[in-house]
Parts: sequence; C-alpha cells; structure tokens
Amino acid sequence: MAAKGMNLCNVCCLLLYITTAVLAGRDFYKILGVSKSASIRDIKKAYRKLALQLHPDRNQDDPKAQDKFADLGAAYEVLSDEEKRKQYDAYGEDGLKEGHHGSHNDIFSSFFGDFGFMFGGNRQQQDRNIPRGNDIILDLEVTLEEVYSGNFVEVVRNKPVAKEAPGKRKCNCRQEMRTTQLGPGRFQMTQEMVCDECPNVKLVNEERTLEVEIEQGVRDEMEYPFIGEGEPHIDGEPGDLRFRIKVLKHPVFERRGDDLYTNVTISLVEALVGFEMDIAHLDGHKVHIVRDKITKPGARMWKKGEGLPNFDNINIRGSLIITFDVEFPQTQLDEQQKDGIRGLLKQGSIQKVYNGLQGY
Amino acid sequence: MKMEIIHAVHVLVKSLLIVLLWSDCEGRESELDYVTCGSLVKLLNTRHNVRLHSHDVKYGSGSGQQSVTGVENADDANSYWQIRGKPNLPCQRGAAIKCGQAIRITHMKTGRNLHTHHFSSPLSNNQEVSAFGENGEGDDLDVWAVQCDGTYWERDEAVRFKHVGTDAFLSVTGEQYGHPIRGQREVHGMSSPNQHNWWRSMEGVFIQPNMEPLHHDEL
Repeated sequence: MAAKGMNLCNVCCLLLYITTAVLAGRDFYKILGVSKSASIRDIKKAYRKLALQLHPDRNQDDPKAQDKFADLGAAYEVLSDEEKRKQYDAYGEDGLKEGHHGSHNDIFSSFFGDFGFMFGGNRQQQDRNIPRGNDIILDLEVTLEEVYSGNFVEVVRNKPVAKEAPGKRKCNCRQEMRTTQLGPGRFQMTQEMVCDECPNVKLVNEERTLEVEIEQGVRDEMEYPFIGEGEPHIDGEPGDLRFRIKVLKHPVFERRGDDLYTNVTISLVEALVGFEMDIAHLDGHKVHIVRDKITKPGARMWKKGEGLPNFDNINIRGSLIITFDVEFPQTQLDEQQKDGIRGLLKQGSIQKVYNGLQGY
Repeated sequence: MKMEIIHAVHVLVKSLLIVLLWSDCEGRESELDYVTCGSLVKLLNTRHNVRLHSHDVKYGSGSGQQSVTGVENADDANSYWQIRGKPNLPCQRGAAIKCGQAIRITHMKTGRNLHTHHFSSPLSNNQEVSAFGENGEGDDLDVWAVQCDGTYWERDEAVRFKHVGTDAFLSVTGEQYGHPIRGQREVHGMSSPNQHNWWRSMEGVFIQPNMEPLHHDEL
C-alpha cells in the first residue's frame, strides 16, 4: 500500500513539474506581439520596433528593462530561424536543443549598427577630439511595391577592423618648434616632427549581416544609419554606414505624397455606355471600378484609402486618383454610320470658338 | 608498398574534403557570395596590391577630367564604387552580376562613373581612365563588361573589366604619381588581357537578393 502511495506521489510530482516547465517557457510570439503565422518579415519588423522601445539605455528607471530586452532578443533569435521556430512550435522553449548562440548585442547591431547606441543625441557633439573614420552612403533603390508593403533587405558588410598587433607605432604626429643653444647667447629654432607611441594596430577584414528595413510609406532621400559600420580610423572611431532610400519610378502608379495617381484608357463606347473593371494594386489586391454614367475624357475618380500608408502613421492611407482618357475608334465612318450616330446621340452642332489657353 | 599507402591516404583525404565541401552547401544563393547589383565594393588589383580609387582631383593633361588611381591603404571611403546597370537598363537590386554582363561602376563619393576614352594617360601613355558624369549619369563610354569564368561574378574571384566602347582592359602597371597624390598608382586601359588587369572585390556592402516575393496573388 505504501509503495502504491509513493508511486502516485511521484507521478503527481512529475506531472506538476512538467506542467510548470511548459508554463515556465516564454511565449515568444507574445513577446514580439505577432501571430503564430507571422512571416519572417513581420517578425523582423516587430523586433526592430520593440528593440528601440525596450533598450535599457532608454528605460533607465525600469529595473526589469534588462530582462525584457533579453526576452526580446531570445524571442527574435528563435522565431527568425526556421529550424528553431519549428522546434519551439512543437516543444516549447525547453524543447530547443541548443543554447543561445550570438549575444543579443549581435542581433541588435545587425539592425542598428555597432558603436554604442546614442538615443536622440547627436554623435558628433559627444567628443570632437576623437577622430572619426569616413562615412559610407549607399543609395538603396526601392520599388513602389516595397514602399506600400514594407520590406527587409539583407546586406553583408565586409569591413576593415582595427586589431591589436605586436609592437608599437607612431601616432599623433605633429610639428613642434625646438630651441637649441649653439653657444652663449646664441640660439637656433628648428622645426621637428614629434610623435607619440601607441600600441600597434593592424586592419583585418570582418564580415557581418545587416538588416535594413524599408518601412511602409518611406520617402525618397530618407536615411537609415548603422552606427559604426563605416570606415575605421586607426586613431579613433569608425564612421557610419547610411542607406539612402531612392524610390524608383513605377510603370503604373505615380506617387505624390501619400496619394497614388494612375491613368486608364477606355474606349469611346465604354465612355458613353459605362464599364466595369479591376485595377491590380501594388500588393496584388484588386481595386474594383464600376461606372454606369457617361465618362468624359480627363474625368477623375477618387478611391479613398487606396493610396500609400503614411510613414508616421501607417493606419492612415492616401487616396488613389484615377484619370480616364478616351480612345476614339481608329476606322473612319461611312455615311450610313454617320447618320445613325446623328440620330442616336441627339446632340446638335455646337462649334463654339474661344481662347482655350487663357481660361475663357 | 609505401607509395600505395600514401596514394590511398591521398585519395581518402581528397574524398573527405569533397564530402565536407558538399555538406556545407546550403540552398540560399547568398551563401555563395556573389557581387550583386547595387552593392558598394572596393576593387583590389591583385598584381600591384592597390585599390581602385578616385577623388576630387583632375588630370593635368589628357581630358582634364577627374582622375582615377590605385591606392595602398584599405580604409579610405574614396575607394568605394557602386555596381549599377547600363544606362536605361537598370539591374535588379541584389541580383548577382553575370560574367559578361555590362555594368557601370560609379564612384560613391563623387557620383561619377568609371570611364575611358581615346586620351593618353599621363605617366605611361596608355589609355586614360577617368571618372565622368554627374549623379551617376554620364554617357555610353561609362559601360564595362565583367570578364570571369563561370556564371556569376564571385566575390573572392579575380575578374577583368573590359571597356565596351574601346575594348580596353582596366589595368595598373605600377607607375606612381608625385605631389599632390604622392604614391598613388596610375590606372589606365590596356588593349590586351594580362597579369596587370586582374581585380578582386574586397571590402564592401553587398546587397543580398530578396527572399520572399511581395505580391500575394491568392484571393
């Protein structure tokens, strides 16, 4: 009897342990604020937005900031990797076979760059005496489809990094005036090059992957900086790498702010009797157009909410403005058709002469 | 007997290497490290160990256009060039450049294109290579073809650049400038392929191809 009781106790304990273990695993989807079916792009976007908000430097009053930030990094590390995500979905956090590899700093810097994050402060004001390496500006071409839906561009950065090397080198070289005494009352001033001694440094090429986000509604010439990913400076800090957005022209849509403009050519018959059609939008969804009245050449139709998302608030969208032009029949009409048309349309002769270029 | 053992070990090691190389292959193109459209890159002349470079200094002879040189140091942003498509035929961002493909090589800092024409170079009397145009737009003499073996321009492979308008190869033969660009080498065009016109991509910002399509055609 006692043995059976012991077994039951053991089983209960085991069950309790398992359930707490499962419950103790973190809900990575909740941490990132994405659904279980989120695409890799959604996950990257969520990470980037939250990483800016939750960075400990920005939340110095919150004692839990480090933990929240660490959770975020762990969540991204698992959900952004296909294999790890599968394991996590099946077995929970404890089912993950390997420990965490790269530190959260690696993940964070692949989105924002390297060199100590300055929130809102201008880096150059910090210390003018530290020399800085060159900045690199890359013109990144983006399509209007990417402006509409957003996208992430992966980029491999291969850069020279200053590493310690054996020995010493000359640094902070400058010209100085030296006064030497040639004899009693006779002096000579000469210019001399004077250098300090610094630890030796050599440049080694290193490679890492960066994630550039093309945010929805991004405008031409906007820049995405990656701190410290520019050129190194042997005596100082590396410069920055900046991606400058260049929005490409589109064959169908023209952008004006958050609005999109497009043109549609219809036949003369469609202009007179009406028509129905679909326009394929930038993400493939169809914009349905129905017209049952007469459509004049140059007529415009406004479709609210079918423009681009606003960069500052993606819930606000611009409009799609469609301008119609009419294509007249190519073949000439014979007398019978001309009579038919005169009869059908019942529009008398107008023939009004006026100055069309001055608004009369 | 000894030779046979050595031979057997040799074969074993070779096949092991092949197996290891094979197992390292993954599905994604980016692992194979090509130079892609839109990337920024520094180009190293493998014979003379200098990087292709330009700056706001004009030639004192020849065309008087912006000079193009070879420099020894590896940390100057003026050695970055952007790989772009031909005029009026843009290449798709992130697409690997094919061997034989015609491209423009645009100097990042000044927005001028690598260019050559029938002028003499100042030191060696070869064909002058300059940087020409504004904001990435110049003329038809800005177009070069990448010459390499295989299908795509691989990042760690030495390639040649053949000018489409004059058939000259981008080269360095070692002549050095004096003041104000002391120590920099002359870069010029030569008519024949040789050991002086091999170039390798080094440091840079390499754009990877898009992963997923943006369109959702399902309804």
